[in-house]
Amino acid sequence: MSTSVTDVWQQRLVAALRARRVPAERIGEVLAEVDSHVAETGEDPTEAFGTPREYAASLTHEHRRDRPALLVLEALSGAAAGWFVAVGAVTLLRGGEFAGMPWWVLVPLGLLLGVPGGLRIAGRARQVRDPRTGAPLTPTPRRALVTITGTLLALALVVAGIAVALT
Amino acid sequence: MADDDVPTEWLRAVLPLAVLAVVAEEETYGYAVAQRLQAGGLGAVKGGTLYPVLNRLEAEGLLTSSWREGVGGPGRKFFAVTTAGRDHLDRRSAAWHTFTERAGGLLPDPRSAR
Repeated sequence: MSTSVTDVWQQRLVAALRARRVPAERIGEVLAEVDSHVAETGEDPTEAFGTPREYAASLTHEHRRDRPALLVLEALSGAAAGWFVAVGAVTLLRGGEFAGMPWWVLVPLGLLLGVPGGLRIAGRARQVRDPRTGAPLTPTPRRALVTITGTLLALALVVAGIAVALT
Repeated sequence: MADDDVPTEWLRAVLPLAVLAVVAEEETYGYAVAQRLQAGGLGAVKGGTLYPVLNRLEAEGLLTSSWREGVGGPGRKFFAVTTAGRDHLDRRSAAWHTFTERAGGLLPDPRSAR
């Protein structure tokens, strides 16, 4: 099986490819190619393929990085989504409306704004599998997703609690 | 035969076609392609150069690939040429020969002593 040096190199390659928004299936293929080549030749992965970042760059001419405008739009829509949900939650707890909108308009509006970003994150967090065996090649990213979601929910509750306490 | 100091740009230019030609000879896998290129006089082609070329050829529909069980080792990814790949190879090989003949005609020949 792979040595620990190869494992570290491969995990860095996964990170570099994920940063370049390469689909999970493609990452699995790339890792399996490297693994197969290194196992066959006994070469060091850095010697044969360069650093993980260099190799990711050479593979991703077809997977262009997202345009900055798209990243800004994604961040803004995510922030707006969070803001509407938070304001909606506060409006629900305190009663009344915000800018003429009741909580049952604010919260769904926020969730709707969060859908594109959520889908993109879910797509990025997909499991990388070995095309030879179907076995997972990376620690499950779903755990990270659950942790992030849990933290955000807890944070929302704390903010809502503070808002209620202040009124 | 191949000179010792062939500029990397020359190799980069001919590599996709040479890789396609090797796969067109018979269905084969990455490391075997590298060995065949070396035996053909193109020097040692590293994995980091070879696999992106193979992947690009596959993305262009000139090759197909499939994973096969290895003998006592990890599986190997075998590449086979497609009909489009064979057409491309024929056309580009003819164009390459025309091009190198023209270029050769412009360059002084060190073998013809004057």
